Amino acid sequence: MRSAFLKEILRSVRGSLGRFLAIMGIAALGCGFFAGLKLCGPEMRRAGDLLYDGCDLYDLRVISSQGWDSADVDRIAAANGVDAAMPSRTADVVARVGKQQVAVRVSSLDVDAAAASSQASDYEVDSDDPFYLNRPKLLSGRWPQASGECVVSADPTDPSPEGERLELLYGTQDLGKVFSVTELEVVGVIASPVYPYTGSYGSTTLGSGSIDRYVNVAPQTFAADFPYTEVYLTVEGASSLESGSDEYEALVTKTKKRLQAMADDLAQARLADIKAKAQEQIDAAQAELDDRSADAREKLDVAQAKLDMAAEQIESSQTELADGEAAQSQGKTQLDQGRAQAEAQLAAAQARIDSGKAQLADKGAQLDAAQSQLDSEAAAQLSSHGVSVANASEAQTALRLAIGVLDQGRQRLADLKAQIDAARAEGKTDEELAALLEELRAQAAALLEPYGIEVIDGETALAKLDALRQELDSALKGLESAQARIDAGREQLAQAQATLDAAQDALDDQSVSAEIRLSVAQAKLDVAQGTLDSGRSRLESAQSSYEDGARQLEDSRADAERQLQEAQARIDEAQRQVDDLEAPQVYVLDRTQNEGVATYDADTRRMDSIAAVFPLVFFLVAALVSLTTMTRMVEDDRVLIGTFKALGYSTGRIASKYLLYAAMASVSGAVFGIALLTQVLPRIVTFAYSIIYVVPLAPLPLPIDPGIALVSGGIGVGVTLIATWAAVVSSLTSTPAVLLLPRVPKAGKRILLERLGPLWSRMSFSWKVTCRNLFRYKRRLLMTVVGIAGCTALLLTGFGLHDSIWDIIDRQYGPIVHYNTTVSLDDSATSADVEAVAAYLGQEGATGTVRVQSENLQAGSSLHAPLRVSVAVPMSSDELPQALTFKDRLSQDPVTFDDDSVVLTEKTAKLLGVGVGNTFRLYDQDDVGNAVGEGHELTVTGIVENYVGNVVYVGREAWAAMGSEDPVFQTLYTNVGSSEGEREALSSALASQDHVSTVVFTDETINMYRNALSAVNMVVVVLIVSAAALAFIVLYNLTNINVSERIREIASLKVLGFTRHEVHAYIFREMVILALLGDILGLVLGTWLETFVVTTAEVDYVMFGRLIHAPSYGYSFALTLVFTVLVLLFMRPKLDRVNMVESLKSVD
Amino acid sequence: MAFVEFRDVCKLYQMGSVEVRAVDGMTFDIERGELCVIVGPSGAGKTTVLNMLGGMDSCTSGTITLDGTAVSGLSERELTQYRRHQIGFVFQFYNLVQNLTALENVELASQICRDPLPATQVLSEVGLANRMDNFPAQLSGGEQQRVAIARALAKNPKLLLCDEPTGALDYRTGKQILQLLQDTCRQQGRTVAIVTHNSAFTQMADRVIRIREGRAQSVETNGHPLDASGVEW
Repeated sequence: MRSAFLKEILRSVRGSLGRFLAIMGIAALGCGFFAGLKLCGPEMRRAGDLLYDGCDLYDLRVISSQGWDSADVDRIAAANGVDAAMPSRTADVVARVGKQQVAVRVSSLDVDAAAASSQASDYEVDSDDPFYLNRPKLLSGRWPQASGECVVSADPTDPSPEGERLELLYGTQDLGKVFSVTELEVVGVIASPVYPYTGSYGSTTLGSGSIDRYVNVAPQTFAADFPYTEVYLTVEGASSLESGSDEYEALVTKTKKRLQAMADDLAQARLADIKAKAQEQIDAAQAELDDRSADAREKLDVAQAKLDMAAEQIESSQTELADGEAAQSQGKTQLDQGRAQAEAQLAAAQARIDSGKAQLADKGAQLDAAQSQLDSEAAAQLSSHGVSVANASEAQTALRLAIGVLDQGRQRLADLKAQIDAARAEGKTDEELAALLEELRAQAAALLEPYGIEVIDGETALAKLDALRQELDSALKGLESAQARIDAGREQLAQAQATLDAAQDALDDQSVSAEIRLSVAQAKLDVAQGTLDSGRSRLESAQSSYEDGARQLEDSRADAERQLQEAQARIDEAQRQVDDLEAPQVYVLDRTQNEGVATYDADTRRMDSIAAVFPLVFFLVAALVSLTTMTRMVEDDRVLIGTFKALGYSTGRIASKYLLYAAMASVSGAVFGIALLTQVLPRIVTFAYSIIYVVPLAPLPLPIDPGIALVSGGIGVGVTLIATWAAVVSSLTSTPAVLLLPRVPKAGKRILLERLGPLWSRMSFSWKVTCRNLFRYKRRLLMTVVGIAGCTALLLTGFGLHDSIWDIIDRQYGPIVHYNTTVSLDDSATSADVEAVAAYLGQEGATGTVRVQSENLQAGSSLHAPLRVSVAVPMSSDELPQALTFKDRLSQDPVTFDDDSVVLTEKTAKLLGVGVGNTFRLYDQDDVGNAVGEGHELTVTGIVENYVGNVVYVGREAWAAMGSEDPVFQTLYTNVGSSEGEREALSSALASQDHVSTVVFTDETINMYRNALSAVNMVVVVLIVSAAALAFIVLYNLTNINVSERIREIASLKVLGFTRHEVHAYIFREMVILALLGDILGLVLGTWLETFVVTTAEVDYVMFGRLIHAPSYGYSFALTLVFTVLVLLFMRPKLDRVNMVESLKSVD
Repeated sequence: MAFVEFRDVCKLYQMGSVEVRAVDGMTFDIERGELCVIVGPSGAGKTTVLNMLGGMDSCTSGTITLDGTAVSGLSERELTQYRRHQIGFVFQFYNLVQNLTALENVELASQICRDPLPATQVLSEVGLANRMDNFPAQLSGGEQQRVAIARALAKNPKLLLCDEPTGALDYRTGKQILQLLQDTCRQQGRTVAIVTHNSAFTQMADRVIRIREGRAQSVETNGHPLDASGVEW
């Protein structure tokens, strides 16, 4: 009996394989999808845990604001619950790689342990060193060995960075104190478990605010006295627990609390160490200063002594000089006296000579008078002889001359007389005598006529001549004696004159010699004066140089004193600082405070949320499918049930057949579905996420959480069984007699539509029957509509998700952000530097350049803890629209922005829970990313559409009102040519400009996002495939039921001569209408579902698009119809196979 | 040439490894305007004959002609057209579309053929003028069968085929239906073929074809058929 019953069940399975498969399929889909999605989150967490444990990722990280030294490390390692401790140094720097500036996080690596480690699998790095934590995977290249070598994080845009050089530019501290090198050379590529999220390696206060790369270096790359910045710890027993699980958190938190309790002591110890070290330095400095001060004083004293000596010398020379000057003045007096005496004597002598001279002059005058008398007498005498003379001397001369002439004439006359006489003697003729006599007379006349003596005869003339001669002679003689007397007087006078002249000469001599003597004396005096003068001037210069020296000494003394004081002040300041030194801030951070780990964990939780809502659709559809299918089955078996009843089987027993049938179908479906989809779905999801996380793909088969499997299977099977029971129970309550009668066909009914007379009468009978059928089978209608709606909703969610995500990029870049390049200058840049860069950009053809001050701060409100935001303060609020469009997302109305405005991006406002008119606070942040200080309160004046990043735009005035220092506006938003080549050229050109720290091209940012968001595409594919599966099962099942239920009708229609197409249309029209209804409902449902998923899946940093695009509605709608048509095409042969003979059979 | 001709018609079914000869060399004629009753016990091949005659099935060998047209050898598509335009079929279980009213059920047929009779007129003729807007479930079995007949007639078929038309009806109603069929034949001159196991019907037939084991055992013409109301069983 029992076996016959069972056999009957098994046969019924075989006989209705389609039905069985439908239930199995929907159970598989529902349970599998539920379990699969449910397991995605846990599986991701497990994969994460595999990585974390495989690489010995730290559980706790202890940071101090003042670093640690090895003593601290020992103290920390000794804490209860700590398994292993690894100190590490980390520093953020901005480095130049090629032409780019990137923010790099440099961490020390235990290179020996790293070199000795081996990669056991994709997610395991084995090492014998238990203290080697955070073991990175070496992807290519080799481990660093020497100082200055590094391994770098993988960058898909730079597949082989080996050999690249990172020139360290600047950091949060003086790089010289942090590193022993100025350049790092890349020798390999790693993936570190500390940074599981490849989309962001964390935030920094440098550059654009986020870490672009992380590198690991040998410890000696850091400066020798640079302290450890952190200590990584593993907690005992934590690795056996799953990271992120409650147990794990509880265990780690216990140790964390213990460490936090120790934090004070650690900080104090660290403080003491630092103080001692600093004190040592200060003491050394003080000692050195003291030395220096003594030295300086000594030197100054020596100089002083020298100066004093010089002063003494100057004084003695001054005395000497004074003596010399006294002697000099005495000499001068003496000289003056001598001069006066000599002058008096000389004057007396001169006076005497002058009187002698006067006497001589008198005598001379007398002589002259005598002379002139003589002269006039002689002239008078002579004039009587016809000779005119002027004076006596001339008269004498004239007389002598006349006598001479007379003598000569007498001679000639005598000669001539002798001749005459001779001639006369000889007897010469008278004639000849006469001529001689005549000549004698002519000559005599010539001689005598001038004296007025008439010559009548020559012979007589001789006498006359002699007389004349006598006369002349006596005159001459008289003249000569008078002249002689005068001359003698003159002689005497001349003698006196000579005597006088001699006296004069003597006097002159005396005068000259006196003059000479005086001159010599004067000269001596002058020389002495010169000596004195030069002595004086020397003394004066000595004096002035002495004074200079004294002043200089004074200056240098003051100088030295000041320097020493300053040095002392510095030391004092240092001392005070040391005295004031506060204990370092100690932070104990766990993995949840690691951005990558936390992001990953948040993503897994997001998966959990999605898993909570999606499967509901499937379960709902599963219930409906089971209900309709089993109802149909029970109705088919109507007579059989009656027979069983008639045979005496109990209601329960009969019901058990159907329950068993349903159970077999649903359990096998559930097992199959769970087994398959718990492998496939988490695999797909983890694969999708492995694009942006270094988290590995765990090896298949993935473990199936029995709880989830049971719950999922339980719900699936339970729903099916309940639906089955509901289907069976109505039939079973009937009596066997009723059951054995042919079933009363379900009555046709008029439907509401028929009331619309004009419309109804225009419809063909086939449309009429379709409409009536639709409302005749309400359960089927519901199932189909819900199933199809679920399908469309899934599709729409998939497409909508795609839209929302790509909207981030499409709506952000272009409609909101108009600039394609951001150029930032470093903190030391001045306004002039920025202007220079702006001008340079202008030359290079950049347009729409806008200057802003950008800051990385934190914003908090009463509703939300501080979150990281970028604050942008535009230099000119009028120019800002060139770079950004502020508008409301819903109304697309512009949002005004002026110098007093404070505008939040939509997501920021939502996270902070503030609206226009509310207030929030802006805080500074420290290196660890905590908000510090009291912050400044700001009032929101506007909220703008924005998708990427949390940004607060603050007007210039509002910024100034916060009391912040006057900004430099060091960031430039600008537009440059967008080709790769232009970008490269500009980037390299800018790198050579002073102070340019980062150049970010929007296109590159977009690519980064595209890459990071590609994970979602995979999810979209999963959704589309599931939607297709769902649509197929629902439609197939529905059509199957519809056809089998109406085989007679179909056969009759065929007999009536309906063509194939008419039969297809008759049956399928109904399906298509139901599909359309479901499709439309699905669009509504999908809109809601998509909104839920989008808000759940969103991360803080971005806002997904909130609108599903029209094409997505179109695609979802069309795809559902395509699925429908495919199913119908698939069902067509079944219709064709319906045998017309069926129409002849009896109803049963 | 007869209106309907069956000449050496054979129909073989392959049932697994066994070959079943449902019809084995059947030969008969039916003249135009006759009321023909084909009678035989269960398994004699009645239904097969009906199927082949109605264009629902084709014969394995032999020829079937209707009004000079060969039915045997028609393609699937041609058979559909044949059913559509030449044949009116009345089923044992009426096979009305439950979701259509009486009128609509008739229209269902009339809308697909070339030269239909007005549906309301046909329904009036079968005596259902007042029930045209009722759904099948609201009609009695006889009424439903009248609707079925009306549906078959509305197509204005050359041949009206009836498969146990009274099989699901009580005696009185059955008689009325038979009357209707006979009237249809007599008054409209339509050729009617009734397939039944009930030999009582032979009394009202113009021609009686008796079938046994796949063969036409006898073909008789009845010179004086009874009025349907006189038929007793």
